[in-house]
Amino acid sequence: MTAVQQVADISVEPIIQPTSIVCGTFVTKDLTRARSMCENVLGLECVSPEPGVFLARERGHKPGEALHGKPYWVLEARQAETIDVPQEMLNHWGVFVDSQAAVDEAHKRVDAAKAEYGLGRVQKPRFRHGSYAFYFVDADSNWWEVEYRTPDLLYTTIRERGDQVHDEQA
Amino acid sequence: MTATQPLVATQSFSHGTIECSDMAKTRRFLGEFLGVDVVRPLPEAQYLWKGGPWSVVCVCVEGDAKIQGQQNHFKLSVRTAAEVDDAHEAAQVHRDDFGIREITPVKDDGPFRAFRLLDQDGSWWEITTLNQAHYDRLFEQGDHKPA
Repeated sequence: MTAVQQVADISVEPIIQPTSIVCGTFVTKDLTRARSMCENVLGLECVSPEPGVFLARERGHKPGEALHGKPYWVLEARQAETIDVPQEMLNHWGVFVDSQAAVDEAHKRVDAAKAEYGLGRVQKPRFRHGSYAFYFVDADSNWWEVEYRTPDLLYTTIRERGDQVHDEQA
Repeated sequence: MTATQPLVATQSFSHGTIECSDMAKTRRFLGEFLGVDVVRPLPEAQYLWKGGPWSVVCVCVEGDAKIQGQQNHFKLSVRTAAEVDDAHEAAQVHRDDFGIREITPVKDDGPFRAFRLLDQDGSWWEITTLNQAHYDRLFEQGDHKPA
């Protein structure tokens, strides 16, 4: 049996069995500026548990709030002297808003506040693969996408549909 | 939290991203080694997830995918320290099968145990016992107070 066959046999039972993708990380050369951007631009809840670090999550998960007890994703930002690998548009973090109009409104407001938050390029909203979205880049080369998707194109709906493309079709 | 209205009316995190250069090879690694769920809705992209509504969008690029540094990584939560150790051993055993480029030593950080690996596409993954309950506590405690 080849190594590839041995691995194929494990496919029913993955080698690692994680419970969640719990966190993604990025770095900043100015933690205060990055936190201000996450809070005041993106509307995220942030906390700094130790010097040089802050965590961000979507709002609504505090005790007594609507999403309390539900799973959430954390972004961990760390202060760094240098950005070892500058990020590009293809490397980005996405947030949902609830309508196309909310994307347009966000774009207008973010574009107007570029200087205040040290942002770089703020792209115009456009339709792509069923989402209506715009991208912007912060002062640390981190890219952010503000997107709206109709219910039939939400990531959770797409999961339920299963594969739409197979290798032989690609 | 600020009292002012944020510029973006964010409802939720939707996704992060990684790159790959070979959809099939990457999917095999994600599904058979890392144990995350994967679906392919588009010729040029597959979406992965585990444990929540957010996704990681994996985009297939021409040529080599960008090699990230450890500053940018994703954390995968497992239940026990033994699972971290088992995963570390498995990463070494299956290193060539899955094209794993680097594996860091297992480390304890307070109550948590973890290691990182750099996959064939240049993405860093941390396998850790850190979990949402830990983050719940940190958000509840609020900002650290300088000594």
